[in-house]
Amino acid sequence: MPITILPPKAFRDQPPSRALNHDSDDIMSDATSDSEDSDSQPGGVSLDGGATIHPRKRRSAAPASSTFTKRPKTNVTSSVPRSAIVTPGERITTDPQWMRGHGTYLSSASLGEQAITSSLAGIVTRTNKLLSVRPLRARYTPEVGDLVVGRIVEVQAKRWRVDVGSTQLAALPLSAINLPGGILRKRTETDELQIRTFFAEGDLVVAEVQQLFQDGGAVLHTRSLKYGKLRNGVFMAVSGTGGGGGVVRSRRQVWTLESANNGGPIDVILGVNGYVWISKHVEPVVPEEAKNQTTGITNLEEVVSATMYSSQNDRIEPETMREIARIRGVVTALVENGLRVDEDMVTKGYNEAVELALVSAEGPDDVYLGGERGEQLAAALTAV
Amino acid sequence: MASSQHVLLSPAELAYLHASLSLTPPIRPDGRSLTQFRPLVAETGILPGTNGSARICFADGTEAIVGVKAEVERTRTGHDSPSLDDEGAEDDDDLDNQQDVVKGDNDWVEMTVEIPGYRDDDAGTVFLSAMLSEALLADGEFTKRLWINRRFHWKLYLDILLISPPLSYPLPLLSLTTHLALLATRLPRLKSEGDEDPLFDDDWAAAPYLYARPVQKGSKKTASAPTARPPVTLLVMAVGNNIIFDPSKEELAVADVALAVSVGEHTGFASSKSTEMDIDTEEIKGYHNLRLLSVRTIDPPSRLTPPGIPNASNSAYGANAGAKDTEKKKQQQEQARTAESEAVEGVWKSPRGGAKTLVMAALVQKVLEKGGVADEVLDALDGVDLN
Amino acid sequence: MPLDTSAYSLALLRVDGRRWNELRRIHAQIRTQAAADGSSYLEMGHTKVMCVVNGPSEPGPRRGATSGGGGGGGGQSKNAEVAVNIVIAGFSSVDRKRRGRGDKHILELQSTISQALAASLHTHLFPHSTINISLHVLSQDGSLLAALINAATLACVDAGIPMTDYVAACTAGSTSTYAANDEGADPLLDMNHQEEQELPGLTVATLGDSDRVAVLVCESRVQVSRLEGMLAVGVDGCKQVREILDRVVRDKGIKMIQEGTVERGVGLNDMELD
Repeated sequence: MPITILPPKAFRDQPPSRALNHDSDDIMSDATSDSEDSDSQPGGVSLDGGATIHPRKRRSAAPASSTFTKRPKTNVTSSVPRSAIVTPGERITTDPQWMRGHGTYLSSASLGEQAITSSLAGIVTRTNKLLSVRPLRARYTPEVGDLVVGRIVEVQAKRWRVDVGSTQLAALPLSAINLPGGILRKRTETDELQIRTFFAEGDLVVAEVQQLFQDGGAVLHTRSLKYGKLRNGVFMAVSGTGGGGGVVRSRRQVWTLESANNGGPIDVILGVNGYVWISKHVEPVVPEEAKNQTTGITNLEEVVSATMYSSQNDRIEPETMREIARIRGVVTALVENGLRVDEDMVTKGYNEAVELALVSAEGPDDVYLGGERGEQLAAALTAV
Repeated sequence: MASSQHVLLSPAELAYLHASLSLTPPIRPDGRSLTQFRPLVAETGILPGTNGSARICFADGTEAIVGVKAEVERTRTGHDSPSLDDEGAEDDDDLDNQQDVVKGDNDWVEMTVEIPGYRDDDAGTVFLSAMLSEALLADGEFTKRLWINRRFHWKLYLDILLISPPLSYPLPLLSLTTHLALLATRLPRLKSEGDEDPLFDDDWAAAPYLYARPVQKGSKKTASAPTARPPVTLLVMAVGNNIIFDPSKEELAVADVALAVSVGEHTGFASSKSTEMDIDTEEIKGYHNLRLLSVRTIDPPSRLTPPGIPNASNSAYGANAGAKDTEKKKQQQEQARTAESEAVEGVWKSPRGGAKTLVMAALVQKVLEKGGVADEVLDALDGVDLN
Repeated sequence: MPLDTSAYSLALLRVDGRRWNELRRIHAQIRTQAAADGSSYLEMGHTKVMCVVNGPSEPGPRRGATSGGGGGGGGQSKNAEVAVNIVIAGFSSVDRKRRGRGDKHILELQSTISQALAASLHTHLFPHSTINISLHVLSQDGSLLAALINAATLACVDAGIPMTDYVAACTAGSTSTYAANDEGADPLLDMNHQEEQELPGLTVATLGDSDRVAVLVCESRVQVSRLEGMLAVGVDGCKQVREILDRVVRDKGIKMIQEGTVERGVGLNDMELD
């Protein structure tokens, strides 16, 4: 059946009621004594001196805020206490020993104290004495050293503006890229005039965050052999990376996968910002002239950078294209089912997918991994 | 019409996509087959204040809601003023007379499309609403359903809302949602008779559907109201020799040809008194009597994409980039000139020229074939639970 | 109608069976749309509103802008801009009515909501970006501005935009009309369409649990002595609404932790000082 229509998955918990008469009962439960909450205590943390670490599963006995005791029990299982989440405006602590990080602000509590208050809905994280709140979901926030995949959206006089899926466009200055002809090549005015020959609007680059502006915008650079313009592959975006889920920062963001079914080696680049690039692995071509010379270490840079700004794809075999589509399906399935995306999961998922395809009707040619097949895949991975 | 937003893709990606879709068999980016649609979530009856409503969500997050409202309106008599002796027509002839006079007016249907971020008089929005209403009014049969008596008729308002910003061309989504909403539309049951002021039954449960629901399988159907369905518009595209259904925005960006095909169903409305259509539903094994309502060409965004630069003419490419050797440069330039005019493998070139009529005919054929995509789509939509 | 029918004076029950201080049924959900940064769906009685938030993001190159890049690009504002767009569907009211984009009422609503949210969102953290809030009204039964503000707040929380606190809104009215001199006029909480048409009322929004008022809109005539009562009832209603919104967010967050989408962090009570 080429078209699958699914019923709504609990989009609405209750159907919209037509009569208002039933509502009076509901209203009473909604607007109960919860409204009388006010922080009677100055929201302190329960300090137990040198007591042992409380196991996480314990239900809170001395809550930080008085609202918890009055909250009626809901259907949520008690393995995750309600105190695990903080919401905007919720006081975390008034203890002056803590320093506040992202996602918090200072507000004045009663008794003239200052309380660290959450400004996001998320979970509290603590590193030494720094308290911050990680949101459940947010846009990507750049950090120095992140490997990101970005798309050029604007070409300015001496730099490019790059969309990395963050709240601001990142900047890639002309001085931060490798000019073909070797790293020692001097930047000339011709380069500035021909800036579009390097990167034009719409091009994809893989780069590293060099530094951050005051306002949080990133400055990128591609001064390494592994960075540069991307080609021979497909792009996909994985959303919601600022909070949990999606692509996580891990040791290896770039690796080469040896694919099945004669696909050959395939490069996978998982940008921390959630942009993913999957392409055929191409060995850099050494042009004729360079082969004759003896290549020293300094000349290696000159030689390899020759193909860096090409926007012409090499010949790609259908088998490789098929495997690339399969990997893309794996990443989509991981995201749709809430699993994290990193090298380990993608490799495992790919092997699972190849096996799934073998038992499917069309055999190894079948690369479709949406909907049900994706859920099957995710289930197989979580079971492992 | 410049269709979807300019989807920003690099020339390398476009070349890859085009090559991938030109293969035999083609490999779509998400691995679907040529006629496979993305899974979608559909529900009806979400707005109790309307005569009919539906909501559809695609897997990529695009979402649309359609609400149908009907109001009784006085028919403008104009030139077909019924003479007074017709008013006193006899009961037996009444049916005949009414049948003869039943004709609809396209003014009785008003369709509005709201797309976030776009004004109402924006060309794209107007074009979309024109395409959707044209499919509905094309065969002239739909407006007849709105006829109450000679003095009054139903005025039907279709409000189509696109909830998500338009990332991909929204036409198929809006069309499917409209189809579902129309299927779910009910008009109050008429209690009055003849040409008197219309009086309706207050009981909503007794209200009949605008498009009569098929009777249960196995029982014979005597039809004066044929089980027709509202039309549906599908987006079809072609790359090389491959015909692709339900294209995503990336696929649309490399299309050679893209068409919006509106398909309806044959209805046998004329002289239904004589033909007792004893249709045993089990006989027609899911084949509908499809009829082509309209075909519109869509300007694919591929025409607006910048071309890729082949390596031969790329001054940033090659060990000679930045070289000052004029002799070598002259050689390069000659090579570059030839390379630019021909198609180079791996380099994207936006499609030029119009679509061949043979290709368009093949596209339309594929949509209409028995047991093909249109059939499946209509069947699937029929299977949606109507609240 | 509370005044005409004797039902109100006899049994103190409003047309829909509520008492003077009862809210209608509020039902809300967040993350209703996966493709957007933040989204929400809210029902206050029969008023149904959907909201989609995109941002904060930097708008792309403006048409006609020269490529002379300065430090920071276009839009040199120090704060993020909150752009609100409201679409009222033609089928939202009982009589189908089409509203153009330039409708003054809609423009005013957009401006009010934009200012209300800008007061709470930490826009200084996102200079020269824009937060796009898109609201769709599916059904109207009174308290429209309140429902829109609540939906927008929920969607912004879902999008992970830092804010000082929830902006919770609700309406309050009075059973006495302008001219009447009755002492026994009661303030009413959360008015529906019929009550809004006939009785004076106001919309009030507070910043979270406190008494700080972020929005106060009154478009009807009312005796000034009644105003304080209405305001008090309204603010109290806002606190109740905030509780409900908070619960929705919390439930969703806990569900996400249970499903493993989000890692567990330090609970508020597990913190220890060295």
